[in-house]
Amino acid sequence: MENFSEVLTLFLSVDNFFAIAVGVLVGVVVGAIPGLTATMAVALALPFTFSMEPVTAILLLVGIYKGGMYGGSITAILIRTPGSPASACTLLDGYPMAQQGKAKKALKTALYSSVVADMISNIALIFFASYLAKIALNFGPPEYFWLICFSLTIIVSVSGSSVVKGLIAAGLGIIVSTIGLDAVYGTQRLTFDNYNLMDRVSFIPLLIGLFAIPEVIEFYTSRVAPHIRTAVSGASLTWQEFKGLLKTIVRGSLIGVIIGAIPGTGATSAAFISYSEAKRTSSRKANFGKGEIEGVAAAESGNNGVAGATLIPLLSLGIPGDVITAIILGAFMIHGLTPGPVLFQENLTLVYALFCGIMVSSFVLVFVGNAAIRYFSLIADIPKTILLPIVLMFCIYGAYAVNNSTFDIGLMLAFGVLGFVFNRTGIAAAPFLIGFILGPMFEDNLRRTMLISKGDLSIFFRGPITWVFVLFTAASLIFAIRRYWVARKEDALG
Amino acid sequence: MEKSELQFGAASESHCGRCNPNSILGGIFSVLAAGFLFYVVPTHIEIPAHMQHPLLSPRFLPQLAGWLVLALSILLMIDGLVKPPKRTETDEFRRGVPIVRQLLMVAAGVVYVLFFEQLGAIGSGVLACVLLFLASGLRNLWVYALAIVFPAVVTLLFIYVLNVPLPPGTLWESLSLI
Repeated sequence: MENFSEVLTLFLSVDNFFAIAVGVLVGVVVGAIPGLTATMAVALALPFTFSMEPVTAILLLVGIYKGGMYGGSITAILIRTPGSPASACTLLDGYPMAQQGKAKKALKTALYSSVVADMISNIALIFFASYLAKIALNFGPPEYFWLICFSLTIIVSVSGSSVVKGLIAAGLGIIVSTIGLDAVYGTQRLTFDNYNLMDRVSFIPLLIGLFAIPEVIEFYTSRVAPHIRTAVSGASLTWQEFKGLLKTIVRGSLIGVIIGAIPGTGATSAAFISYSEAKRTSSRKANFGKGEIEGVAAAESGNNGVAGATLIPLLSLGIPGDVITAIILGAFMIHGLTPGPVLFQENLTLVYALFCGIMVSSFVLVFVGNAAIRYFSLIADIPKTILLPIVLMFCIYGAYAVNNSTFDIGLMLAFGVLGFVFNRTGIAAAPFLIGFILGPMFEDNLRRTMLISKGDLSIFFRGPITWVFVLFTAASLIFAIRRYWVARKEDALG
Repeated sequence: MEKSELQFGAASESHCGRCNPNSILGGIFSVLAAGFLFYVVPTHIEIPAHMQHPLLSPRFLPQLAGWLVLALSILLMIDGLVKPPKRTETDEFRRGVPIVRQLLMVAAGVVYVLFFEQLGAIGSGVLACVLLFLASGLRNLWVYALAIVFPAVVTLLFIYVLNVPLPPGTLWESLSLI
């Protein structure tokens, strides 16, 4: 009871509610603007959180994440441009609906499916995260070492069209993560005697550089695209229609939860699995792909079911499930918190305050989403010619704010150029970030294990938990290799 | 990530012609990885005098990552030779971009990197926004008013609402002293 009152004291503040509202709003707006992504928004918002309380800061970022997940579907439905890969599935039926004059119905279906899925996902997070954290208390460095090895395999799923290029990016990310003073011996590593690099490469300039700057450079090195205007029209979603979709939404949400809880599987696959499952079991399967409302509900519930669930491995094990949770992990660290079982032991009040905020964010999404549908044309009609100089300004200010150093601005632009080169050469930037974050964790746990065992390698296979993670890692690798070969075969065929 | 995954699929096969981009990329990465492994690591990562185990070496992870990059780069190079490239719409969209547009973008970056502390956050923000608006060929005067309003508002927001200090500009401070 005492803990409960502490949680409420920590959570019930104007700042927290404001952060959630602003976060969801920013997420929806950014997600709704073609070309801007929720990842970019979360990265840009990170410097704003420096002076905030940890709970407020994390809630702001989670709000953006959730808003962005829904916002991506708006452009998918209206202009056939998904704001995120996960929304690509939504356009299969959403866009035909919009063409048939049912844009408003499609958008409302997407919104309410997203909200329901989000709530189910949050409940799963609240129930499973603490349980998993309790199990994780039994983990020592060897168990963590294998867990991180398993997590490194998520690189394959975020590698885009080329696994080889993705792995190269991850390797580069790991190399960059080793810059600075060595944690055990204190020797300089790859600092080139530059004191700015002694304390590792700053996370925020790297993040903003990789995910926001390439969009700016890409815009100014391409011809100006004609600005597409949008319209929201037609009848809205009725209660009867929504009731008829509930089964599909709940099923999609559960698929999203299961997939989201596994690091690296991601919202895209959840959306497509949910969609194909809905199609398989629907009585109107012939209408899928031609403007079927159930298709929109299935896709959106699948991709939003992932949002809360990806926080399960993050909070309980300290392992990011995707790129946005990797950024949120960085936010935890910036605020002096380390996600994982220890967080549940030492900051239980904070964790439950976060859970409260995450639940509230789903309700906020209803209001913000509805407003976005009403005022969407205003949001999406901001031309990039005006928007991107402002985005660049936010990037610069954000990078400078970390250490009050112009070195960080240069660093950010350098990573921006790298991200741009990645874009042009077909290399996904996400593996680079995953490598940068997981590299030091891998090294720390490897070294701790070696120090505990005094060099005895058998410690890596000391018990059932290590074996479970060894098997998971092996299975994930086999799956990745199989995926690589299947992709190659398909490529060769056509 | 989202954007990248969608865009990259198209971009990866975008360059065609006599040279295969994947082979070139693999070749460049191979050279860089070899340089890293055989020059940078030995000269820029010291090995401590008393090291208990090779796995504890400060060079272990950089070398592991370096070898990974080298091996995969060679694989990419071979892969590129086997698979011919394709041209995509994205590639067409990148042709014929005026050089002035790109130069103005670079100039905006230079303003931020070299003159951020001298001109201050507002000064450099205004200048960079004007350069980027020019790069897009904007002609409406009210748009250029935004180039002044936005940097000022955002800077004040950072400083007074979020308590994040931004430079006021050493140049203006010197001028005010005169």
